[in-house]
Amino acid sequence: MSHTPHTAAENKAQLGWDPDDPHGINPHHGEHHHYIADWRMQVTVLVVLLFFTALTVAFFNFEGWAEGAFGIVLPGWVNIAGAMSIATIKGILVAAFFMQLRYDKALNTFALLACLGCVALFLGFSMIDLGSRHMVTAYKGDEVVPGGTGYMLDAAPADEDFFVRLSPRVNTGGASLIYAARREGNDHYKGLNYYRTTPGADEADFWAYFYGDHATHRDPLDEENYFVALGYGQDPVISDANKSRPRRGLTPGLFSDVAPLTGHGPHRMSHESTEGEDEPTEQEPYNESADKPGDDGD
Amino acid sequence: MSTMIDTNPTDVPAHILRSPKHWRNRAFGHHWRTGDEEFDAAKFGMWLFLTTEVLLFAGIFCGYAVFRMLYPEAWANGSHYLDWRFGAANTAVLLFSSWTAANAVRLAQLDKQFWLKVNVIITIICAGLFLFIKLKWEYIPKLSEGKAPGTFFSYPFAHNPHEPLWWSLYYIGTGLHALHVIIGAGIFGVVLYYAQRHQAYGPTQYTLVENAALYWHLVDLIWIFLFPLLYLIH
Repeated sequence: MSHTPHTAAENKAQLGWDPDDPHGINPHHGEHHHYIADWRMQVTVLVVLLFFTALTVAFFNFEGWAEGAFGIVLPGWVNIAGAMSIATIKGILVAAFFMQLRYDKALNTFALLACLGCVALFLGFSMIDLGSRHMVTAYKGDEVVPGGTGYMLDAAPADEDFFVRLSPRVNTGGASLIYAARREGNDHYKGLNYYRTTPGADEADFWAYFYGDHATHRDPLDEENYFVALGYGQDPVISDANKSRPRRGLTPGLFSDVAPLTGHGPHRMSHESTEGEDEPTEQEPYNESADKPGDDGD
Repeated sequence: MSTMIDTNPTDVPAHILRSPKHWRNRAFGHHWRTGDEEFDAAKFGMWLFLTTEVLLFAGIFCGYAVFRMLYPEAWANGSHYLDWRFGAANTAVLLFSSWTAANAVRLAQLDKQFWLKVNVIITIICAGLFLFIKLKWEYIPKLSEGKAPGTFFSYPFAHNPHEPLWWSLYYIGTGLHALHVIIGAGIFGVVLYYAQRHQAYGPTQYTLVENAALYWHLVDLIWIFLFPLLYLIH
């Protein structure tokens, strides 16, 4: 009799092979193999979970009691290790039994563990970063604290605990690195300061000093020299009202103060500051009245 | 769709047995070789989603760790403001509801429709209880005292300038978790509706019960770690 198969098993029996799995890839194909949890096991897991909850609370309270009763201070890791280890046990119990990872395909467990690996990366690298910053600020802190001391070149490369401190590249002479850098900058641009603070000095003095750094670049006899071609020789010629010369480098007037907002005349800011005009202090700005007419800045 | 009932369960109204959503009348998708494969794929998809949930909360855990390292005094003060009894009570509520959720899966597998619904209802009630405890004894009193997150902080007796940051992390962590509790309860509400209306879940068709339970277990799992971090570690 021609029998129409209704089920996979009948179909398989009639054909002699399984049409849903013709190559026999999955030998257990078609069978229901879902795990049905044992209720006794589930109850046991619940009781154990509640027990661990009570345990972690008891540990928390015992800790506080012990510190008060014995007058001791427990290290912080005791608190953290106790609470988090119990939480981890509880989490494993929930994942393994309630979420049935224990009876599931390993793929689900793998997904969870891969995810937890990523979490460990986030937490781990954050903690490594934060936890090691003191090793940097140990020597860097001296750099940013005004009046602090930079470490000397002749200092020991490591202390008695073999903690290596990097030495600065320059000897600050006991001053903070910021102060030393500022002082060094002042020395470097003293020509600039001279130009800014001396009424008789003109901008040419500044450029003369500025290109004094490039002594090999300013031979006036070298016609091919780039700087000479630009007009920066031994006696640099700057633009005037009759002739404009191209110029590279710092913008003229870059270091002069902002134009005065109040009062009239070229003096800066307030009338009080002009009182000491006869004896210009170091901070006195460049006097624009001494500027040559036809300067590019105009 | 074939609505043939090969066995006649007792005491089930005929209109439910005839329902195409009844678990005996539901078939797996035609593109699957077996229902098992469909089930396994759906469950693995749920696990992948759960990993993203774990990563979502990992950001909060990471923030907790970083700020605790930066401002340990504020964190110690913050945990002292919380009462471990409410945290422990909520832990017990969630553990118990996690157990009832696991029971719901088992009872669906065994086609025990009544007890399936009972366990789902208990789970939903536990979700409500959790939120009630959270609001009644934690959120509302603390917010009324000014222990509010960030710029809303107005608690006058704070000892550390970084305590608003603690409260920000507390409300973000527990609030996001409470949102998951609400969503989980909603999913179980859907399960309850279809179980009541159509007896939609049985030995061969319980994917939604399983995935809802997985989601609920994850909510439990997150709280298992939030509880010691917020309440116990100081």
